[in-house]
Amino acid sequence: MKKIILLFVLFLSLVSCIEISDDLTMHNDGSGTLRYKVNLSASKVKVNSILALDSLDGKKVPSIQEISAKVGEFAKILDAQPGISNVVIEENYTDFILKFSCDFTSIMSLQAGLANAIEAVSKDKLGPEADEIWITWDGNKLKRSIPAFARAKVKAYKSNDLELLKEGSYTSITRFDRPIEKFDNTLGTLSKSKTAVMVKASAYSIKENQDLLENTIYLISTKN
Amino acid sequence: MKKALIYFGTLMTSTMLFGQKSELFIPKDAVTVFSINNISLLQKISMDDLVNYEFMEEVHQELFDGSTSGKTLKDAGIDFDQRLNLFYGKTNQNEISGFTFGVKNKAQLFDVFDDFQKLDGTFPGVELYGTFFNNLIIKENTAILVRIEPTMEYIDQMTDSIWYARGNEMPYELFDDYQDEEEEILNEEEFVPDEPIEQISSPEATEDPNVKNYYELRDSVQTILQDRELERLMKELFLDNVNLYTTDVRFEKQMSHDAVGTFYLDNSRNFEKSQGLWYFQTVLPSLYQDIQELYTGNVILGDLVLKDNLVEFQVEAHYGKELGSIYKEMNDSKFDKNVLNYIPESSTGYFTYNVNLRQAYEQAYKVIMPILSDEKNAQISMNVLTIELLNEFVNKDALFGTYKGSMFGTFNGIKKIKTKKIEFYYDEETFEYGEREAEAEEDMPIFTMGFSIDRSDIPEKVMKHMSRLTSKFKNMGSYWKFENAILDSAPLYFINTNGLFIITNDEDLAVNHADGYASKAISSKEKKAAKKSGFMYAHVDIAETLNRFPTGVLNPRQEEIVQSLKGKSGQFDLTSSKTTDEMTKFNLQYSFEGSEATGKHLLDLINSIYVVTTFNP
Repeated sequence: MKKIILLFVLFLSLVSCIEISDDLTMHNDGSGTLRYKVNLSASKVKVNSILALDSLDGKKVPSIQEISAKVGEFAKILDAQPGISNVVIEENYTDFILKFSCDFTSIMSLQAGLANAIEAVSKDKLGPEADEIWITWDGNKLKRSIPAFARAKVKAYKSNDLELLKEGSYTSITRFDRPIEKFDNTLGTLSKSKTAVMVKASAYSIKENQDLLENTIYLISTKN
Repeated sequence: MKKALIYFGTLMTSTMLFGQKSELFIPKDAVTVFSINNISLLQKISMDDLVNYEFMEEVHQELFDGSTSGKTLKDAGIDFDQRLNLFYGKTNQNEISGFTFGVKNKAQLFDVFDDFQKLDGTFPGVELYGTFFNNLIIKENTAILVRIEPTMEYIDQMTDSIWYARGNEMPYELFDDYQDEEEEILNEEEFVPDEPIEQISSPEATEDPNVKNYYELRDSVQTILQDRELERLMKELFLDNVNLYTTDVRFEKQMSHDAVGTFYLDNSRNFEKSQGLWYFQTVLPSLYQDIQELYTGNVILGDLVLKDNLVEFQVEAHYGKELGSIYKEMNDSKFDKNVLNYIPESSTGYFTYNVNLRQAYEQAYKVIMPILSDEKNAQISMNVLTIELLNEFVNKDALFGTYKGSMFGTFNGIKKIKTKKIEFYYDEETFEYGEREAEAEEDMPIFTMGFSIDRSDIPEKVMKHMSRLTSKFKNMGSYWKFENAILDSAPLYFINTNGLFIITNDEDLAVNHADGYASKAISSKEKKAAKKSGFMYAHVDIAETLNRFPTGVLNPRQEEIVQSLKGKSGQFDLTSSKTTDEMTKFNLQYSFEGSEATGKHLLDLINSIYVVTTFNP
């Protein structure tokens, strides 16, 4: 998976426009669904031209078959993790859109499952990053941030790639079964139903401030 | 090593007026020689600047071997009043490379060449020094640094001969087994041995220390051959006065030119020694002999001339009469003026190539077919029959009317092109996600390639059928459009008009200028230059072309090449003369503006060429 992450980072650093979206649904019982989408369709020409190369920045550029195989392997391993089910991956190599979703029984199962799956498909171990808690949930309050391994990748962008990042965007949505009372992130927008909050920022802003997507969301207590 | 040596030579000087000529030390087996006679170059460029070039870094590694760090060529005791000549050659038995130069201060020279040990020499007045690979030979105030390596084929041949004459068996079987095992181990990507693996090395020595195994024998043969060849070379150079300068009048004549640098490449000897022609040499010796004769006299000679704000590379490509007759017919083509109308004034790089393939084919048929027909070989005879039948049955008017051979190409920088993208959107009420198709724009390098054509009906037929096969191929009236043809994202356009078949990704050309750019085409002066040139003309605005070239899609090494050229300003102009049956002249001019010294530009250029030629994809 690190290879895939690396490839996406590579693409991120080269393509003029990338759209990333994560969509986390949390149920009252702590279970939920994570949906994650990466959209490179606005940079098809560039992605195709990169894929036509043997190597880039001294690293081998994998073929679509290799990427697909790795993605499949990741899905299979994740699906086998305790507390994780219904792993679905949609790959569209015409428009270069990758969608991933899975159900989880608890937020801890999700984080542990993702860390294990990433480690399993990667030659390198995640180290302390594997144990990092980047989402917490106590039934009334959810706190989320960007995982450390992803932060490191964003940080690694070269200065001449930054202009390109300004055109990319990251959308983070968190949904609940009951209304939201308040949230910390000033960039957030509450849905009309009051059960979802969306934070949207440019990829460049995230590189500049990696806490930008961090949000603590407070729900109206079930006791009320 | 060879390339480093060649570029090292570009920095040295000589006047040929003083003392011994370093060119008299160039072995007669040298096939390629690059000689620099450029005192003015070094007068203008400081050595400290010089050593900062990429090609110098490698020379430094080779010459200084890390043992004299901090020193530069200034400290090398080299006499800059003599030429420095880089040479490379290959015979059926040896590969030879090195350079010859003047010596000013021997003590300084050996401070730098400190790995060389004095060896016993048999030629009076000649000092011989050696390292494991190289030899340094000094006579009076001139030296030759040379590496002679017998070819592996020659070493094997000699070793086998001795090995079998001693009554030994085939030596390879055991070695092959070991090799297979090694390969298997290497192929295991993550091989973790449970037990230590027994180290597999060369076959062990025989019990009798006086009897060598095959590999020991081969090493001995290699050493002996190397010594023998060195001895032969020294005898040639210092006793018999046989060298390239005395044996090849073309080289001698070239060296008399008053040029900064001189280039010599004997292609006919390259052909002769080409290992790839082993099959011809052994199985079809008479055919090989005939083809070799075709190549006789195939020599490329060049002069590098420095003028104010101009570096000029004047090249003469010589060839024998037979081959020359084919080239002459091929290049005897009327310039197709229509192409100039399709080169926009904004184009920063373009070329025209003007040949007559029909005439070339007919002449080649006349010259080559008799050679092939004389060959008494079943396979060749069948090929000859096939060619003769094709010659009779194929409609050459249609074939050469469709592809005449003349073409042009342009690079028009980077433009935004329209593509489609998938956009994510979110419902305001629920933030539910959806997808929709939207217009996008991406940067794309804009290229155009056009071919002169008499039978425009033939590509028209092909395109009509293509449009029936796929809806992506559309007739747009004055042009055809092939959607998503490039990288599955951008369209390609075909223009079939005015005796030209043009392929481009430039929408503006297809939509607005299908009949040519008219007043927006290149200037009359530029058109005249292209028309006046022989079969080939090229023009590149270095700064504009390279600065507009998308480096994002290049791999690091390719990017390094482009970066090495970036920042330079100026223009490349390549022209060619009318081709005769003896030679074609080429002239590559690099003109630049600004106050930078000509020598600096030359070195920049050499550095760029170095980076390009050492490029290994």
